[in-house]
Amino acid sequence: MTAQGTSTAGTDDGSGNGTIPPFERIVADYGGLISRIAMSYEADPTLREDLTQQIFLAVWQSLPSYRADASLKTFIAKVAQNRSISFVTRQVRQPPIAEIPEKLQADELNPEEAAMRDNERKVLLEATRRLPLPQRQVIILVLEGFSYAEIGEMLDIAPNALALRLSRAKTALKSMLEQTR
Amino acid sequence: MTDFDLDRLQHVWRQQPDAQELERLQRSAAAVARRARYARILDFAAAALVSVVVIVLVWSKPRLEPLLMGGAAILILLASNARQRSLRRIELKGLTGTTEDMLDQSIERIEKTIRHNRLTLMAIAPTFLVAFLFAATAVETSGPLFGPLQGSPLLRLLWLGGWSAALIGLVVVLALAIRRGRRELERLTSMRESYRREHEFGERD
Repeated sequence: MTAQGTSTAGTDDGSGNGTIPPFERIVADYGGLISRIAMSYEADPTLREDLTQQIFLAVWQSLPSYRADASLKTFIAKVAQNRSISFVTRQVRQPPIAEIPEKLQADELNPEEAAMRDNERKVLLEATRRLPLPQRQVIILVLEGFSYAEIGEMLDIAPNALALRLSRAKTALKSMLEQTR
Repeated sequence: MTDFDLDRLQHVWRQQPDAQELERLQRSAAAVARRARYARILDFAAAALVSVVVIVLVWSKPRLEPLLMGGAAILILLASNARQRSLRRIELKGLTGTTEDMLDQSIERIEKTIRHNRLTLMAIAPTFLVAFLFAATAVETSGPLFGPLQGSPLLRLLWLGGWSAALIGLVVVLALAIRRGRRELERLTSMRESYRREHEFGERD
């Protein structure tokens, strides 16, 4: 393992056996993950920019403590989630929860698939932000494609507790998404 | 929700940011890393500079005073560095540990801050009273520092007004900090409760 941003040897292959890639590479590989986690905790664009920068800094600072007993992606997701939670608790106001549009506006029903996806993604993000924190954490990690074993390890919960929490999260998310149809 | 739905949601969720957004993220991350590196270099440079100044002073005038002053400066620097490292270690532990541990740590931190601010608030009145009595006595008994105040009621009024404004300002700042702390504590406690409920729910079923 080498110092932050200076390592050039190897890349993490997701198996937990790799070395730390340079910070720039981490941003290129996991920038999307960090951005989505920030979006699922903070709706205000200005504050979200601040949060994203804080996550980058937290990742940069915590990289030397990374031990390859879990994948780098898992490590980054955990740091990003924890930083996001501490960020939203420090906001004096309540975290902004934008209303989920009751119906998709006619002009938003773009025939192009990309536009529809974008709209769907917005609705999904808003619904995720409305979930209670423990359920939100689980659903974000599932949507990010982490295995149940990885999620259980990351959140330090037993498989049956995870299954229950996920089931509740899915039900709540489903209900919120159905309201928008 | 079927697994098929979840697959589709995963697909929707994991859309990569567009090239422009990715470039912005990379620029932002590079700036953050650069600032953190500069801050680290600056810390090191400041420590080196203080050490060099102390060594040069003591070397050029090998007397007790520069030695004591220099020693104190180095000790303060070391203590400040040790505190910074300790704070960074605690923060790191919070970032890389479980969310519940992080919430517990944050609750402990904010409770300490609130307690400290309350004590400071309570200490303000007696401290200002003592300072005021001391200053009033000093003005009466005169001295070069308070000489102008004796002959000018306006200056005395301004002097008193300045102290009062400072007192009120400090009280307001502390009261706001306590209120902000309480709100943060409420939110942290509610989040921790929400985790505990989930745990209880998981164990019950």
